[in-house]
Amino acid sequence: MNPLRDVWQDFQEYDNLARIGEIGRRYFAMNAFDGVLTIIGVLMGNMTARVAEPRIVVSTGLATCVAMGVSGLWGAYLTEAAERKRDLDELSRHTLSDLNDTRIGQASRVAVVVVALIDGLAPLLAALVVLIPFFMTALFPAIVWAYYASLGVALLVLFSLGLFLGHISRGNLILYGIRTVVAGIVSILISFLLGE
Amino acid sequence: MGKIRRLVLDTLKPYEPSIIEMAAQLSELDGVSAVNISISEMDRKVENAKITIEGEEIPYPQVSEIIEQLGGVIHSIDEVVAGKQIIDDAVTPQG
Repeated sequence: MNPLRDVWQDFQEYDNLARIGEIGRRYFAMNAFDGVLTIIGVLMGNMTARVAEPRIVVSTGLATCVAMGVSGLWGAYLTEAAERKRDLDELSRHTLSDLNDTRIGQASRVAVVVVALIDGLAPLLAALVVLIPFFMTALFPAIVWAYYASLGVALLVLFSLGLFLGHISRGNLILYGIRTVVAGIVSILISFLLGE
Repeated sequence: MGKIRRLVLDTLKPYEPSIIEMAAQLSELDGVSAVNISISEMDRKVENAKITIEGEEIPYPQVSEIIEQLGGVIHSIDEVVAGKQIIDDAVTPQG
């Protein structure tokens, strides 16, 4: 049998048992949204402080991305592990047996790792994408265009997240997209007013 | 060694994995030809499942391994039929 297919089947079984997909989707959307809004804050802070050196924007942006990634990974790992241990212990009390070495216990452990990875990588990657224009500042006539491009990418990522949420809820995709973009615009405006 | 041909087990298991998953896995064992699982009682998080297995040579260690792997516990072995053919318990005046 194909080993990849075996792994996929195992994962599907774990997904059924531990609802990894459902929780993963929630964490992904929530944390990618968090990541983009945070990096918008970093960009606006640099822009209103008139930072003209791309290296500074990139290094503060990357440091923020890494911090969000580590925070997501650590936080989700600890909270998920604690919650799932509690659920498994409660179920073990009902069956009067130790469920740690069963498929249920394995599914629970896999869920913790997958959810922690999603929680750490979602904000990190979403924020990294927003920073891309600052890696190619040579293409822009002035640094301010890199800021505009980054903010544009941020709004685009927010809109995509809205589409993703709309797809999950089977609702109006555009409406969801607009809602998430509005959050970005509000964040940009408030940061701009504070900076001025 | 005699061949076990029918096994009736009283088990307690969590709702998930479902009895569909459990029946499917048990039926894939060599020596098993049919599996019937029925729920006799439901609790808040667990359910009592009566598992009836028939086959040419039921491998009990693997049966109990699958049930335990899926989070179930065997409470009792309620009926065993072994030998060359399946027989039911004899009716006596006492019942």
